[in-house]
Amino acid sequence: MAGLELLSDQGYRLDGRKATELRKVQARTSVFAQADGSAYLEQGNTKALAVVYGPHETRGSRSKSLHDRAVINCQFSMATFSTAERKRRPHGDRKSSEMSLHLKQTFEAAVLTELYPRSQIDIYVKILQADGGNYSACVNAATLALVDAGIPMRDYVCACTAGFVEDTPLADLCHAEESGGGTSLALALLPRSGNIALLQMDARLHQDHLDALIEAAMTACKGLSKVLDDVVRQHLEEVSVLTRD
Amino acid sequence: MEGPIMIKTEKVLHLNSSKGRKVRVVREHYVREQVPCGSSLCQADCLNDGKVLSGDVTHYVVPDVGVVRDFLEILEFRELQGIVFTQTAYQTVQHTRGRRHYNRLRALLKDPRHDCVLFANEFQQYCYCPRDKGESQDKWHTRNVYNAAVWYYNHLAGLQPVVMITEDNDAISEFSALNSGVYVISTQEYLLSFWPDLQAAHDLYSSIAQTLQERESEAVEKVYTEHLPAEVLEAGIKSGRYIQGILSVNKHRAQNEAFVRYEGSASKNTDLNSDVLINGAKLRNRAVHGDMVVIELLPRNEWKGRTMALTEGQGEEQPLEETQSQPMPSGRVVGILQRNWRDYVVTFPPLEEVQSQSRNSQKILVIPWDYRIPKIRISTQQAEALQDQRVIVRLDSWESTSVYPSGHCVRVLGKAGELETEIQTILLENSIHVPPFSEAQLREMPVNTEENRWQMDSSEVSSRRDLRETHLVFSIDPKGCEDVDDTLSVRTLPGGKRLELGVHIADVTYFVREGSLTDLEARSRATTYYLADRRYDMLPAVLSADLCSLLGGVDRYAMSVLWELDAETLDVCTVWYGRTLIRSSYQLHYELAQSLLNGEEVEVPELSRLKGSQRDQKLVELLQALETLTRVARHLRAQRDKGGALELEGVEVRAQLDEEKNITALVPKQPLEVHETVAECMIYANHWVARKIQESFPHQALLRHHPPPKQEFFSQLIDCAKARGFSIDTRSNRALADSLEQAVDRQDPLVNRLLRMMATQAMSNALYFSTGACPEEQYYHYGLALDRYTHFTSPIRRYADVLVHRLLMAAIQLEKEGSLAKPLASNKELEELAQHINNKNRAAQHAQKQSTELFQCLYFRDKDSKTDERCVADAVIYAIRANGFLAFIPQYGVKGAVYLKDREGQVVSVDGDGRCEWKAGTLQRYSDRISSCTSTGTHTFYLFSHVTVRISVEPSRCHADSLCLELIRNKPHCPVQPESQPAGGGRSELVQEVVRRAEEASLQAVEERGRKPKLSREERQFRQSRTPNLYVLLQEISELALLDLSVCQIRNTEEQTSTASS
Repeated sequence: MAGLELLSDQGYRLDGRKATELRKVQARTSVFAQADGSAYLEQGNTKALAVVYGPHETRGSRSKSLHDRAVINCQFSMATFSTAERKRRPHGDRKSSEMSLHLKQTFEAAVLTELYPRSQIDIYVKILQADGGNYSACVNAATLALVDAGIPMRDYVCACTAGFVEDTPLADLCHAEESGGGTSLALALLPRSGNIALLQMDARLHQDHLDALIEAAMTACKGLSKVLDDVVRQHLEEVSVLTRD
Repeated sequence: MEGPIMIKTEKVLHLNSSKGRKVRVVREHYVREQVPCGSSLCQADCLNDGKVLSGDVTHYVVPDVGVVRDFLEILEFRELQGIVFTQTAYQTVQHTRGRRHYNRLRALLKDPRHDCVLFANEFQQYCYCPRDKGESQDKWHTRNVYNAAVWYYNHLAGLQPVVMITEDNDAISEFSALNSGVYVISTQEYLLSFWPDLQAAHDLYSSIAQTLQERESEAVEKVYTEHLPAEVLEAGIKSGRYIQGILSVNKHRAQNEAFVRYEGSASKNTDLNSDVLINGAKLRNRAVHGDMVVIELLPRNEWKGRTMALTEGQGEEQPLEETQSQPMPSGRVVGILQRNWRDYVVTFPPLEEVQSQSRNSQKILVIPWDYRIPKIRISTQQAEALQDQRVIVRLDSWESTSVYPSGHCVRVLGKAGELETEIQTILLENSIHVPPFSEAQLREMPVNTEENRWQMDSSEVSSRRDLRETHLVFSIDPKGCEDVDDTLSVRTLPGGKRLELGVHIADVTYFVREGSLTDLEARSRATTYYLADRRYDMLPAVLSADLCSLLGGVDRYAMSVLWELDAETLDVCTVWYGRTLIRSSYQLHYELAQSLLNGEEVEVPELSRLKGSQRDQKLVELLQALETLTRVARHLRAQRDKGGALELEGVEVRAQLDEEKNITALVPKQPLEVHETVAECMIYANHWVARKIQESFPHQALLRHHPPPKQEFFSQLIDCAKARGFSIDTRSNRALADSLEQAVDRQDPLVNRLLRMMATQAMSNALYFSTGACPEEQYYHYGLALDRYTHFTSPIRRYADVLVHRLLMAAIQLEKEGSLAKPLASNKELEELAQHINNKNRAAQHAQKQSTELFQCLYFRDKDSKTDERCVADAVIYAIRANGFLAFIPQYGVKGAVYLKDREGQVVSVDGDGRCEWKAGTLQRYSDRISSCTSTGTHTFYLFSHVTVRISVEPSRCHADSLCLELIRNKPHCPVQPESQPAGGGRSELVQEVVRRAEEASLQAVEERGRKPKLSREERQFRQSRTPNLYVLLQEISELALLDLSVCQIRNTEEQTSTASS
């Protein structure tokens, strides 16, 4: 049996997208009342829920708090039903801790933490269904949740993955493409300034192709930022209509 | 989201997870309205790029999934036009029929000569229908294909009727009446009603259909063990339990011995560095020569050695225990990763055999031409008609219940034994397809006839560097050469401090645009094929012999490399590459150029019309240029020698050619220095172009490398040399070249020649590659001792040179404008292309060799070997085997086995004056000699000793005829008896005498061949030389000329063409 062909000769990917096309993104903010901010985001079949508490006083030991800025605490988990085969451990394994750390680094770069010295911001993200691009879905959901919580940020943080197949960069990989053995690069971008908050790539890639790949990922992130912006604006409109009454 | 609107849907798949469990997976599936339809009749402005279906056909045809899966071969007929392949069918082929079949479909879609397109129906919003609950997969696929056909009809606004062909009868009854304009019929009906005249397609259809049917009603007793599933194989390879490799069958013991060579160096069993033996058909488990297989090693106590005895034919099956060598790693095939089946030429058995063969007379076992391929089962009713014909057959499957694979007939080639059939067989067996150039291709060609002269384009003239006035350009080729693809120039620049050396190559890429039909045809041919009596050109004659050829006295386009050299040290100062205009002033030939250099008084034809001082001045000018050129070439050669360049073209070959000169007036009396001068300049140009394109495109330049040989391959050479007291140092190319130079036996020049031949055999082949596919340290060219090398100088007859020309132009453009007008082929594409060219080159060499053998057999077939003096020849022993030795006959360039033991177990005994006869006795084999013990005494045959053999033809019905050597005297051969008293001291004279006589005999043979009536018709027809023997000798050169096969081939083939034209 011949292997999967990630990019056909006609330029179609497995799921019918072209190389630069993103998956369908849908999002809602303020899905929970008791949290300070929350958001639900679907990126294709990857579904993420993000909840933000804070800024509030540091919990637990005082020693963790910083005198000049807020501490960001991230926790990532995956629902047991999120993958095709049921997961045994929803959180706390190596992969989840690594993901938590990456999220923390990303948002430390974006949130204006220096406005809240000696305090703490909690971000909890849960993947409800995993279909590739878990990290980027988490970042995008968490951004919306932070916006919903009213925490000042430098810019939206938009994240997207990109892969490299047959000399062509593919934007926003789905699970089948990610597990196909090729390169996958995750990038979190502050779109307006063009600053990169996080860049991660595990597989081997020839140096010459790196620029093209980053370029593709950045374009995808900018596309995403528009979607996120629309979601926020729409939410604002709804809320303002409600409050006017 | 920007761009066209896509609608997200989902589809549910049931897959096997890595742990082997069934998993339910939901995948997204995006559909859209805008999917290009790929038809020129499109009314909706689809974005059709690439291939487009023509509008002037009577209908479009949409094949169903089953048709594409099983009857793709029928759709490959070029007569069938307007084929729309659906994505549904395309993907099914990918998933069910394996990569080869899938690649064929892909190639079909890419080939612009086939009128077919792929329509991505599953991504079209209105075509795609999700699978219903409980619907079978086949039904769902058929429904999808039908929907696509309907959409296609509506999309083209009913301009073209659409025919869907299917093998599913339910579908015909269900859909045929639903829509007017969309017809659903069976494949057979389709062929009958639309292509009633295409008999070949009808035959092929019934042949495949019958095979499919047979397969279903197959018996169930198992002959072979089942292959393991792909997942298990993959896991096994990763864990090191199994080994992956390509199966190659031993031609001489096809039923028993096959070997698997490791793929790459990633093997975990580092202690196994040799090939793995697969002994017997059971262990080979249905693998066919060339397949990529997975094997498991057997336990050490079951290892077997390879048989060292020479076997006659392939009939013998009993393993001879005592003749086996050291046990070597043995294994068994557990699975096949990839079948590498091609078209095979087979012969049908005679009728009486057919009847006794099987219960149901429809199944017939046919015998492939290639010994390495097992017999094939064919179901056909035409067995009687096909008797003694050569037929093309394709393999379909090999079930574990069947002893032999089953296949079906494709086409009849002709009667076995006829020259034309045999030549076609050779071409086909080497997968060479050389149809005559089509009309569409010839239409692309520029016109140059008497009444309609070809003119240069004025815009081209202004954009090129004009060297017509400034440079003295000349070419040096064999006499009478028509396709001149290289010219030279050299001059001293003003000031006298610098020299300018120029190599100007025919600008083929100007005429052959990338992607044109001519280009595609040239690409698929990849090279010009030279057979013993004919050649198949890569480019149409109007280009190769006229417009591209840099003839004397006419303006021509060229690609030039110009070096500025320091006049004293000859170091390169600057290099210029680019397109130029040249007019070659002198079209010299080698002998003339050499005589000029030697200071002899010779007539230069171009100067004969001039007079007096003007003529002298011109002559001095030319002479000066030639001398400078020689000086530069000597310097270049010396530089390469320092690096260790190999010279493997034996001196002996030239001495052989020596005598030929008298009749052919073609080959120089002495190895002329000017040959080397020209070759050196070409190598230099190739080298510098390689540097340029590699620097400009580090990942996608086409280079040629020659990997260093494996040391273990030299063992035969070293052992043989030891037998004669020479030591060969093979540690580096330098050392090898030196020690070969030393190993000369004064009494027998053949020794050195044979040693060089063995060295040649130990070498790996030089190969093209893409720079991105190979680490930089492997760019090295071992034979030429250059760090980078490519082919640039013969674009008329090699496609690689055409590619390099394009790369060079792109490099120049990149330098000038900073960007490229057109993206280059990616590394992957280029590497694929390089592999293709390598394969074609190998095929060309094999075809050349086999056609020579064919002609040798034809030559000896008409002779009575018992009486004809020409069938007796002198031979040299060059290898020892358990029951005989291998001998080389310099007179005819034939190599073959000589048996010392016959089937009854009798051995050769030698009587007093050297005559041989069969007697009961034993053989004893040593590393450098073999002796036979009989009642009359013991006789020993040593390596490199001369014997007399009789050559006869062993006719074969199903395979190529072969030559058979029989030992008749244990003495060198002397045609006429007189003073041959072989005393110990007079040996050297004897050898000389023998060599001289052998050469005389060879001359005779040459003349004989020229007169042979059987060939002369072919010769006239193909305008080939009347002396095929010359070809044999030239073939020798190219075999020996490891310097670089191709560099020598320049000379070789030019000589060929000149013979053709003379």
